[in-house]
Amino acid sequence: MFLEIKNLSVDLREFRLKDINLSIAEGEYFVLIGPTGSGKSVLLETIIGFYKENTGTIKLKDKLLNNVSPENRGIGIVYQDNTLFPNMNVYENIAYGAKNKFSDKEIEKKIDEIAKIMKIKHILHRNVTTLSGGEAQRTTLARALIVEPKIILMDEPFSALDISTQSKLTSLIKKIGAKYNTTFLHVTHNFNDIWNLADRVGVMKDGNIHQVGYVQDVFSRPENNFVADFVGVQNIFEGVITNINSERAKINLKNGIEITSSDIDCLNKINKNSYYKNEIKNNVKDEKEYIKVLIAIRPESIIFSNEKFESSARNQLKGKIIEIIESGPTVLVNVNVEGHIFKGLITKSSAENLNIKNNKDIYLSFKSLNVSIIDEYESFNTY
Amino acid sequence: MRSKFEIGFIVITIAITLLFFIVIGSMFLIPSFEGFINALFSEEMAFAITLTLYTSIISAILVILCCIPIAYTLSRYEFPLKSFFKIIIDLPMAFPEIVIGIAILMFLGSNGIGGYLDALGISLVFNSTGIIIAQFFVALPYAVRMLYSTFNYIDPRYEFVSRSLGYNETSTFFNITLPLAKNGLFATSIISLARCIGTFASVLFVGGGILMKTETLAVSMYLNLSTGDIDLAITSGILLVIISFITIAIMEKYAKESYLQ
Repeated sequence: MFLEIKNLSVDLREFRLKDINLSIAEGEYFVLIGPTGSGKSVLLETIIGFYKENTGTIKLKDKLLNNVSPENRGIGIVYQDNTLFPNMNVYENIAYGAKNKFSDKEIEKKIDEIAKIMKIKHILHRNVTTLSGGEAQRTTLARALIVEPKIILMDEPFSALDISTQSKLTSLIKKIGAKYNTTFLHVTHNFNDIWNLADRVGVMKDGNIHQVGYVQDVFSRPENNFVADFVGVQNIFEGVITNINSERAKINLKNGIEITSSDIDCLNKINKNSYYKNEIKNNVKDEKEYIKVLIAIRPESIIFSNEKFESSARNQLKGKIIEIIESGPTVLVNVNVEGHIFKGLITKSSAENLNIKNNKDIYLSFKSLNVSIIDEYESFNTY
Repeated sequence: MRSKFEIGFIVITIAITLLFFIVIGSMFLIPSFEGFINALFSEEMAFAITLTLYTSIISAILVILCCIPIAYTLSRYEFPLKSFFKIIIDLPMAFPEIVIGIAILMFLGSNGIGGYLDALGISLVFNSTGIIIAQFFVALPYAVRMLYSTFNYIDPRYEFVSRSLGYNETSTFFNITLPLAKNGLFATSIISLARCIGTFASVLFVGGGILMKTETLAVSMYLNLSTGDIDLAITSGILLVIISFITIAIMEKYAKESYLQ
């Protein structure tokens, strides 16, 4: 692996990183998400060498970094706020790091090249305090890239920018990643950054990484209720597995609602556990001995219809609309099904076609493939 | 339309500032013009001005050289008993200057290390060196406090970025931190100089207050008041006010624009 972090712990008294394990491949764009205070920035600053590890190892290209000073690690960093040196102009900022590596002529050539890519050629001699947010972040990226770091760490680089500038910078970063085969570790709160940029994503909370995986997997198959909630899975219900085979499981929610799931990874995991397997095969009647799980369904996976219809979706439920929340072009419809509130996301035009309104009876359908099973969760009452 | 609250605060500000101005300004009315000119061009006054500027400039330079690493350390690094060290450095600001003078005198005099220094032919009290030491001890805590705030105000991420771009701690300090602290450093220098110029009680004790030997402007004012030479005493006072006014005005003019604002 290109960047390999093993069993990393950092104790900053008021905050701790606990047993972090993370591997990032060369040229990969890895995005780390998590709530404020989860330790994302501390992790970045530990990787770059500003905080000392208590235990564990950080390797970059198989070289152990633990005792290497930040200036010798070959890692670049881009922060959320403008960290351009105010005592230098744009050109001097970009040239600052390059002075350690290249001759003046080479620097001039490199700045010319990178300024063209970053579209900052016209501002090279500007005072950095006069730059717009987008110009400042493009300059910051140019400054980080010019020293040809092995990996660039980005700590919410777009969060202070307007949406249009964010999208321009996103395309720019994609272009740079492809051109220089740069490896990125990007911390963000913005899910658009994940969908637009990430090859893989990690979810952090309280100094731990809770899940790492491909974007689609993390969003559709969260491993615990925290990840499910954080990535926007709004339908999380507790139930018990009453029947299981290699293809699907039947989960009973309270009030007799039965949901079918084909979360293969989780089914395999549960099937491998002989205790669970025996419990279910023996058809234990005592409810206390059923396997308690959470199920998660993304709101966009729910299909609404006015009538019951034949389809490949194994789950079809009838409920009453209790709340309609409009948000731009989409509508979030909350439906009460036997005391469970299901949330479905549809477009405004679909809502109009279906004549969505409060107190109306409606059918909800969703595929068993879209029902994730979370078998390790913290507390039922969290949601 | 100003609110009553705003008007009230402005009135209080103007009233107290005017009171200050009248009290300080009244000193200018006491001597006759002829008496002031005679005192100003007297040998004693020339000596006091020269000694004050000479000792104060050296002390201020020493203060700045010492306060930079101290303030930076207190601002950036964690180490055992850090709070205790901060209290010790701040302490002289809280007690009367005369206490610093007595403490230095006890330490450097024959009751302290003075005997050993005498044996080596080194004398640190009752001379201009003693004045510099006294001024240094009085001004250092103020300088550390000011520069500590300046360093605290500089986002350490500037330094992190510099390190990530291949510069070690020393180069980062000189290339990034110090230039960013430029205005705070300038203000600290001016305040230190003003503090050194105005130091009285500790200078009197450690320097000895000897006429035409360790007679700074502040000491001159005291000595001449004691002997009843009002013109010389007030002229010293006026000079101190003028020098202080100029230093503060310079600071106001040049320390305004900040990189970090």
